[in-house]
Amino acid sequence: MWKAALNANNLRLAVASSLILVLMLNTSATHSAEDFSESFLSLTQKHCVKCHGAEEEIYGEVNLQELSLDDLKTNSELLRSLIDVLDLQEMPPEDEPQLSAENRQLLVNQFQNLLHESLASERRYLHAPIRRMNRFQYNNAVVDLFDLKCIVFTLPERMMRDHKGYFQPETGKMAEVVTVGSRPLGKSQLIEPRLMGVAAFPQDLRAEHGYDNRGDHLSLSPLLMEAFLKLGQSIVESPDFSPKNVGIWREFFAAPAEDVDQSAEVRLRLKKFLFKAFRQPVAESQLERYIGYVQHQLESGVPFPEAMKSVAAATIASPNFLYLYDKTDVNETSELLDDFELASRLSFFLWGSLPDETLLELATNGDLSKPEVLDVQVERMLKDKKIKRFCDSFPSQWLQLERIISSVPDRGKYPDFYFSKYRDSMHMMLEPLLLFETVLIENQPITQFIDSDFTYRSILLEEAYGELATEPVDKNSNEVTTLTFHRVPVTDRRNGGLITNAAVMTMTSGPERTQPITRGAWIAGVIFNNPPEPPPANVPALGEKPAEGEEHLTLRERLSLHRERSDCKGCHEQIDPLGFALENYNPIGVWRDQYENGREIGMQGTLFRQHQFNNVIEFKDAILLEKDRFTRALAGHLLSYALARELGAADQIALDEMTQSVISDKYRFQSLIKQIVFSEPFQSKSSPKIHVALE
Amino acid sequence: MRRTTRRNFLRGMSGAALSLPWMESLCSAAPSKPVAQRMAHFYVPIGVVRRGFFPGEAEDIIPKGNLGNVMTSLGKQDPNFSVKPLTELTPTMQPLDGFQQKINLITGMDRTFQQGTDVHAQCASCYLSSAEPYTIKGTAWPLNRTLDHLVADQIGTQTPFPTLEFSCNSHRDNKESIYFDNISWYGTGHLAPSIRDPRKMYRRLFSTQEIDQYRDITDLVLEDAHAMRKQLGTSDREKFSEYFESIRTIELQMDRLEKMKAELSLVKLDEPPEAYLPRGEYIRLMGDLMVVALQTGLTNVTTFMVGPERWDTPYKFESLFDTPRSHHQMSHNQTKMINDLLKVDRFHMEQYVYLLKRMDSIQESDGTTLLDNTLFTYGSGLGDGSTHQYNDLPIIVAGGGKRVYSGQHINMPEGTPLANLWLTQAQLLGLPMKRFADSTGPIGSLIAG
Repeated sequence: MWKAALNANNLRLAVASSLILVLMLNTSATHSAEDFSESFLSLTQKHCVKCHGAEEEIYGEVNLQELSLDDLKTNSELLRSLIDVLDLQEMPPEDEPQLSAENRQLLVNQFQNLLHESLASERRYLHAPIRRMNRFQYNNAVVDLFDLKCIVFTLPERMMRDHKGYFQPETGKMAEVVTVGSRPLGKSQLIEPRLMGVAAFPQDLRAEHGYDNRGDHLSLSPLLMEAFLKLGQSIVESPDFSPKNVGIWREFFAAPAEDVDQSAEVRLRLKKFLFKAFRQPVAESQLERYIGYVQHQLESGVPFPEAMKSVAAATIASPNFLYLYDKTDVNETSELLDDFELASRLSFFLWGSLPDETLLELATNGDLSKPEVLDVQVERMLKDKKIKRFCDSFPSQWLQLERIISSVPDRGKYPDFYFSKYRDSMHMMLEPLLLFETVLIENQPITQFIDSDFTYRSILLEEAYGELATEPVDKNSNEVTTLTFHRVPVTDRRNGGLITNAAVMTMTSGPERTQPITRGAWIAGVIFNNPPEPPPANVPALGEKPAEGEEHLTLRERLSLHRERSDCKGCHEQIDPLGFALENYNPIGVWRDQYENGREIGMQGTLFRQHQFNNVIEFKDAILLEKDRFTRALAGHLLSYALARELGAADQIALDEMTQSVISDKYRFQSLIKQIVFSEPFQSKSSPKIHVALE
Repeated sequence: MRRTTRRNFLRGMSGAALSLPWMESLCSAAPSKPVAQRMAHFYVPIGVVRRGFFPGEAEDIIPKGNLGNVMTSLGKQDPNFSVKPLTELTPTMQPLDGFQQKINLITGMDRTFQQGTDVHAQCASCYLSSAEPYTIKGTAWPLNRTLDHLVADQIGTQTPFPTLEFSCNSHRDNKESIYFDNISWYGTGHLAPSIRDPRKMYRRLFSTQEIDQYRDITDLVLEDAHAMRKQLGTSDREKFSEYFESIRTIELQMDRLEKMKAELSLVKLDEPPEAYLPRGEYIRLMGDLMVVALQTGLTNVTTFMVGPERWDTPYKFESLFDTPRSHHQMSHNQTKMINDLLKVDRFHMEQYVYLLKRMDSIQESDGTTLLDNTLFTYGSGLGDGSTHQYNDLPIIVAGGGKRVYSGQHINMPEGTPLANLWLTQAQLLGLPMKRFADSTGPIGSLIAG
């Protein structure tokens, strides 16, 4: 029983940075298995089974009591979590007998060996189930298929709007001044050139600790299918679906010249169109069906452009268009994608859309999977404007930025947060997105996400930061429609990076006070890709205001009174220091040295029980000391996004490998993207071993 | 068609003259039809305050949490089976006054939580499936085809829509995953999405747009789907059947809506306005649409979520509070928020009663009311929003007419699975079902004759 639950949810992925261990692997792989078996048993008996097996209540549903090394060998997911909790010093808890450093290292090394051994014999990646496109992908795919000059429908999930074309990835340089808008919170941000009369289907929700493209979350219903049928129709019938807006109008919709053989022309046009829409060669029988459909319309007197519109509407209701899937393989182990599948996986990862003609052509010739060709293509894709879709989808979900939409600091306490009918968060949310785009476009090191030497600020945002403004502000700015952001150098290291952004500080706070545990959980999940378990169901949250008699306490003191349970401690020892480290930032991200009751802020702590810090700059330094862990964590986020699935044990080896490559390329972001694309899991597919069925 | 304003419409609904002209005309339009049996579920998120809802618990201690992972009641419930006449109504149930003879209060129903997800993630999503934990492979949720679809397989085969899913989730942020926003599932991992927007629901039900034009398209794309299916592995094939089912369902829907066209044109109900509606008005408007769909035979099976599960962000409860509130956050602080929570519970009950009244006011061709022909259940997936208990759930079953004994407070013996009620309802609606999920047998006290 516990195994099933562990596999599904309790799996702690992706934190251990085990690069050195990987190197040690070859030398110690087979070193006296029997010795280890003995030390394993004695160590777990001494340090683990008190909570994990000996007593009736088994913590974390991990039972090590009756576990032998042989059992472990066949349970790579459990191995992975054991490595993580040991490597991150999460276990044993602080008040239990501690492992010596040597023994801890011994266990981690041996578990690593076991993991590699068990995966070497059979490296099976998890299967990403067949899935329909999500709303974002559908919009992009339709735009690309017809080469539309406007969007299909408005998407609030694209949080930042580009107003004057600042986004020029081909230059490798982000503009100094950018004019942007906040779609969910700004004024008139959703009014964009689009196809009139086309209604969107509902936004797809993000998976917990995951993304809105996840295969297991995207299914089809009659309601949605009806929406797709209607969409197809309303798109081609829209008054804006005109020669002016439709790039392929002449080559596809316009009636051919009179001297052209119409039926040959229809065949030619459809063949090309369907190839692009279905992103694989179109079978002759399928082509015939579509030709027949058009001919039937033409014969019953429908004008040529109308007939082509009708077949276009049908095309985008076809499952070949709507679904993302890997073709069948009967092998039990994983196998490589074919070139067309690779083209699609690549383009849906970086462009959130269909592959373009170049990619399809390379796939047709069987060239795309050649490393030197693939390398050139990734370079090209990163410089294409369509990389904006990646920036519109990944970072806001990675950073969980949608949480700021519903952040409403108390008006009485934070009146400055509100201006006319708007909130400062409208400006705040754009700062981390601009930093993300810059690091990507300029191929900067990802350590900038922790501690950057520049940022983007609007005047209003500078004002909102108060003491943390990069330069003194002397005039008021109430921009609500188009917001002007300037690139400014960061000299005060309390600024810079994603972690201490006003956006993050605000969205991880309650209306009246900061929520250090929420902040800690955010850092654990986002920065280290190690989201804590949800808290036990029935622990009440700490009140916004201090209880009577607690007014004189600091937040840390109040919280420690509040949680006295021993089963809470284990997790909180991990996440609390991460959150308290940020206590100098108040609920709207403004710097403070003391609480309202006059008590000093106590933010000191230790990261991973190893790196002490006494102020937020030292905290950033501590994270930078663990930058390899962060690299691996971000790689895990990206890989999960790219593959539209959860990661499993087999992916861990790839994460180790790509982390090492990124380190050797100075932590550059584009290098990380490339490593994802070149990784084995990205280029593999597998079909499930067991037939998952309802019983 | 004479156009009624929405204002008039609402006034008519809640006023004394509950039988409106268009309803009568609908009845007379189809006098020969046998009266259909229906089922509707009204889901209340995040449990209730036990002291306000359950008889005999008014003085129980108010939960403060700190119970570990025990997830049980703080107060003591009667572990023995009993059936008593429903005479007194607890404060939260007060709005039901006058309906005692048409409802049953059922207490003592339990579910089992499957370790491995957040506690709220299974509240709503697994409420109507109640699968035995760990029996569904490949998922952390004990989630199977839900009761509404199983029942619709029997009584929804002739209506344009086999089922309709309503949700009064007005959150604009995307904070939670699908598991917090849906009680209706075609199967494990296969969501039956709900409609949150009254305008969208209205259009779905009464759109006059010609949909026949889709026929040629569905013929064409179905061929694609057959060819594509051959390229898929086993589990993908299974999931991909959603495409065929969806197309088939739409085709049937088109046929049936076509046949009902004349009848539906008699419904004088304006398209809802785009404007923001206060929470109560919004819920009742969604409810009106649900009732009219059941009444006209657009569907026989509906689910109605009066709010989403968990969802920590606040929204407005006009008429209750001055500022936006998060039901979930309040539920974690019962000691302080108990009076406000009781208001929310009562507010949700009032909405349920509004729909009861509506259904009871609609006369069907054989002289019975819509309520008499509908099993209309109020329930929550939690017994208390603070203790997060999956046992002793608040359940009210209304309607069912002569097939159901009503006017009772039925207390089920300790450990009775909620699935027993779902089994009973399935059997009452004619399904030859012997067992549902982890059920141990039907609730005999409900079944008349």
